[in-house]
Amino acid sequence: MARRLPSPGGEITVAPTVNGSTGSWRAYALVAPALAVIAAFFVLPLILSAVLAFRSKGGDFTFEHFAKAWDLYQTDLMFTVGIVALSTFLIGVVAVAIAGYLTLGENPRAVAILRWLYRWPLFIPFIVTGQIMRTFLAKNGMLNHALIGSGLIEPLAAQSLLDWRGIVVAFVWKQAPFVTLLLAGAMASLEPQQIEAARNLGARRWRVLLDVILPQVRGTLLVGLVLSFVTMLSVLSVPMMINPNSPTMITVDVAYRISTLSDYAVANALCLMSLAVAAAGAWFYLQHAKRQTLQS
Amino acid sequence: MPYLAIENVSVSYDGRTRVLDGVSLCVERGEMVALLGSSGCGKTTLLRSIAGFVIPEDGTIRVAGEDLTRLPPEKRATAMMFQSYALWPHMTVAGNIGYGLKMRGWKSDAIATRVGEMLKLLQLEGFTERLVTQLSGGQRQRVAMGRALAVDPHLLLLDEPMSNLDYKVRVELRHELRALQRRIGITAVYVTHDREEALTLADRIAVMDAGRIVQIGAPEEIYHRPESAFVAGFMGADNALDLVETAGGALAAAVAGTPEAARLRAHFRSDAAKLALQASGHAAGALLLPGIVAQSVYVGHGYRYRVRTDDAEVWVQAPERVAEGTAATVVVPREALLLFPARNP
Repeated sequence: MARRLPSPGGEITVAPTVNGSTGSWRAYALVAPALAVIAAFFVLPLILSAVLAFRSKGGDFTFEHFAKAWDLYQTDLMFTVGIVALSTFLIGVVAVAIAGYLTLGENPRAVAILRWLYRWPLFIPFIVTGQIMRTFLAKNGMLNHALIGSGLIEPLAAQSLLDWRGIVVAFVWKQAPFVTLLLAGAMASLEPQQIEAARNLGARRWRVLLDVILPQVRGTLLVGLVLSFVTMLSVLSVPMMINPNSPTMITVDVAYRISTLSDYAVANALCLMSLAVAAAGAWFYLQHAKRQTLQS
Repeated sequence: MPYLAIENVSVSYDGRTRVLDGVSLCVERGEMVALLGSSGCGKTTLLRSIAGFVIPEDGTIRVAGEDLTRLPPEKRATAMMFQSYALWPHMTVAGNIGYGLKMRGWKSDAIATRVGEMLKLLQLEGFTERLVTQLSGGQRQRVAMGRALAVDPHLLLLDEPMSNLDYKVRVELRHELRALQRRIGITAVYVTHDREEALTLADRIAVMDAGRIVQIGAPEEIYHRPESAFVAGFMGADNALDLVETAGGALAAAVAGTPEAARLRAHFRSDAAKLALQASGHAAGALLLPGIVAQSVYVGHGYRYRVRTDDAEVWVQAPERVAEGTAATVVVPREALLLFPARNP
């Protein structure tokens, strides 16, 4: 099973501690149910998975599962990181473009239509997204029909995009609205006069976006991208439907190890590897957050 | 030909609410004109139309003969100073001031030189690399000023740039701004609701009400010879009452039942009137209003009294203390009365 990984983007605020011992046990009592749920359903399975990944058949500590996972799936691991990284980059570009137009657009009707339209993919599950992309990107799919029909390509030149490109398109289509939502909110909370001041001094709208708006919403963009990165890393349905053959994404391999081979040890090793990749994204975000705190 | 020529400009929001109603205004090169009015009178909308943030549905706006009514803001060589300053918090002082020059394609060392000049002019030397979030209100105001002036704009537009400052800083900066504007000879339009600010800063004042310019002229003219009861009231002559001319040519308060046609609307300033304890021995022609002192307020250089007369309430200023409830007469010299034909229709 593809496992949901912890999301590193959420900011945890620590409430001020209540002075005196009478208050403190109450505070613990208040958070105890939540802590218990996290411990039982998240921390414990995680520890068990980690332990199983390092335990041989005889019960000794071993790296053999990792060696085997690396041996069999290193291409898939690179493929996964490559696809998710490229998708994250494209999501950033799309989200900045849409949120930028929502903030700076001058045609109120176009802005209203875009605002209504862009959120739709948010409500569509990944598996349905996969299905949509199959009918859209296949060799005889809607995209090629449209391209041939409009005379842009020859019928013989039509090719299936149901490979790594299909996964990237599906990911970007599904996740860009999420980042756009966060980003457009952050942009809307900027003081509108800052934008007017820049235009007044001769900045065209794309300059305003790059010079005035983006630097101030950088943090929000990064949170959205890290969350998307981690989410995409754990999606099973999209690669399964669009591109299940090797090279494919790690989640497909994990599902195969478990459901076909009942090989939990290698599956756990693969999961820990993708957790490490997710943690790298989280580390990147935390570094940035720390720099921001130091600056202000 | 005037440098800035606004002709018959009309603006409405959502196609219904008229915010500007056929406004015309000319500003000469090097002149500073204040747009004065209460909130909602359309003064900021007029300024924003000049800057290009509002496109009028009617009329033209020309600068140096060039029609820019429909140009986007970035194509007009105006520089605007905002009430909130609208500085960019992620940039340094130098970054803010130099931005307009960067947009004009200046080389970075030329920008640095110009920013240095600006900082010197505005007495902000040593603040170059400071983030604007680390500055005080007055310093931010100067940075905003420097950002607008650095590009050497054809037209400087100021939207209540001092309303967020303490009184003392405001008064200081007012004089600095006036001196600076004179020195560089820049053409400026200044929006304010503060009449003192308009009087000290502007070469001419345009008083606005309900989307129209109701009077335009030199500060002295607006102050001493308001053309309407509204302008008189706005310029501080806020005591208002109806008078009638008596048989002998003297003026007296109108009593209930006086026909509308016989009435005159009079305005006077509270510091132009006197409070007298006897009803006789006053200059001929002065308006005498006997009444009771209803309230007294200490205002530093004397007292301000609310005096209830037969039909009205007036405010008057006097140096001596008079107890509340004392019978007294308000004496208004003839020349302090601003008279208008009847009530506003």
